[in-house]
Amino acid sequence: MRYHPDSTLSSDPGGGSTWLDSRVSTPVRPPLSRPRDVLVGGVCLGMARHLGWSVRSVRVLAVALAVAGGAGILLYLWLWALVPLDEPVPGEEPGIRRRVPGAALAVGVAGAGALAAAILAPVDQRPLTSALLVVALGAGAAVAWSLGLDRSDPGRSVRYGVWVRSIAVALLILTGVVALVSRPSALNAVLGVGMVVLAVGVLAAPRAVALMTDLQDARTARVREEQRAEIAAHLHDSVLQTLALIQNRAGASSEVARIARAQERELREWLFAGDDPLVADLAAELREVAAAIELDYPARIEVVAAGESVSASPALVAAAREAMLNAARHAGGEVSVYVETSDAATDVFVRDRGAGVDLDTLPGDRLGIRESIIGRMTRAGGTATVRPGAGGGTEVHLHLEETSD
Amino acid sequence: MTSVLIVDDHSIFRSGLRADLDASLDVLGEAATVEEAIARIAELRPQVVLLDVHLPGGSGGGGAEVIRGSSGMLDSVRFLALSVSDSAEDVVGVIRAGARGYITKGSSGAEVSRAVEAVASGDAVFSPRLAGFVLDAFGAVAGEQAEKDDELDRLSAREREVMRLIARGYAYKEVASELFISVKTVETHVSAVLRKLQLSSRHELTAWASARKLL
Repeated sequence: MRYHPDSTLSSDPGGGSTWLDSRVSTPVRPPLSRPRDVLVGGVCLGMARHLGWSVRSVRVLAVALAVAGGAGILLYLWLWALVPLDEPVPGEEPGIRRRVPGAALAVGVAGAGALAAAILAPVDQRPLTSALLVVALGAGAAVAWSLGLDRSDPGRSVRYGVWVRSIAVALLILTGVVALVSRPSALNAVLGVGMVVLAVGVLAAPRAVALMTDLQDARTARVREEQRAEIAAHLHDSVLQTLALIQNRAGASSEVARIARAQERELREWLFAGDDPLVADLAAELREVAAAIELDYPARIEVVAAGESVSASPALVAAAREAMLNAARHAGGEVSVYVETSDAATDVFVRDRGAGVDLDTLPGDRLGIRESIIGRMTRAGGTATVRPGAGGGTEVHLHLEETSD
Repeated sequence: MTSVLIVDDHSIFRSGLRADLDASLDVLGEAATVEEAIARIAELRPQVVLLDVHLPGGSGGGGAEVIRGSSGMLDSVRFLALSVSDSAEDVVGVIRAGARGYITKGSSGAEVSRAVEAVASGDAVFSPRLAGFVLDAFGAVAGEQAEKDDELDRLSAREREVMRLIARGYAYKEVASELFISVKTVETHVSAVLRKLQLSSRHELTAWASARKLL
């Protein structure tokens, strides 16, 4: 049903109507695909949807074909393997619900075979071979169904899978042993041994499957990590360098440098995500504050920390923020922040290279320093000193004794 | 006139830096890989090598490998590490290999020129962040102090004072006036700290070194 979109706008009325007629005469079929809530494989349901027939008639036809020479079974398996699944509905579990308990049925077949084998074993070795084969195939099918299909089925519990596999194993071992102790023919002896081996394999299978999955996951994770490291190395080498270059060519207080610096910080955070401890310590908090201030003012704030990591005291952070804000607003340019934390005390130094302030001549409306820094620190039981730094500028020193509690 | 060799794998950065450096510096040449850098250092014998910490080539050791490859000339050729990352941890490996200091790539041309002159005259160049790292690594914040001057694993009281002021953003001159000592004395202290940083066997430092396969 491909056509050029313009053909619908064709000015020729005759052509238009032919096109419309052909469209009406071939109804649009839903695509051939298998649904996710099914009996066994969803093949009949999918066919019925596609052909517009009733599900019942498709199933009857399939069973008829299966009985008449087995073509239905082959066709079913072929379609099962080749017809694509529906896309999972978002918000629902992605597994496929199968209403036929295939694993339990297969165990049932194996059980019947085992019963027959137990009766036949002391009597006749010839039909015993068939019984053994039924048990082996039934139990094998049950385990395969359980491991392959039921594990992703939201309608089947884990406990159900364990039961099915345990019974299958028990049947295999039991029948195998029965076959071996009944003076078996050579063929039956081989079958018996094979069944016991198969049982052992089934016991080991879930572990092997889990191991494979783990290996696969680990490999995927490693590939992803390598890819990320490669990207990080590349960005580190090229983009960060360029951003650094832009910053030093544009000068610390220019708009361009500020943008480049903000970008650099973001990139760094992304590159080294996971390297930093998530616990908010004082230095990390001050770095965040500094980053926020840098966005608003033409200043470059470098935060250097030494000593052990301590949790941030709100008063200290607020006072330090005010000091950095003052430095950025009134001095600009380079601002150095040094945080030193020891067992006894925490010290924060904020130093700028501006014209400097004189506390005594400070106008009364400059509440910033007097109230927000000194007052706040005093109330928190610490001290704050504001003094001219050696070589110009101002240095604010915040000191907070560690209260022993 | 101080002769300089610029080693960095980004041509855009090399030319930018070259254009920015003071006229008093004589840029002899540039190199982009570990092998090229070692060859050009031996050939040109610059007084100072501006050395990027991360370099391609060689056995993957970057700037530190260049310094080790030129170890025979360490008394005439001095290395100043340049790093795009401002974490001192990144730089400690180069310092321990023999660099006389480090400066971040965000620094202006004038700052780099000053640092080059300082290194050429035999001084060490410490950034605030490196000073902070030193204070941490030598346990100075926790109050550890050397009893004798020649002790390698701890800082003396004076060295600690100097490092703290550098971490606070003070220039050497400002440190000198703050502590009422001469600039020369400050430089002596800084050089002593640099030596300890290079030679100390404190576990924090050796851990960095061994993590970067320097030992």
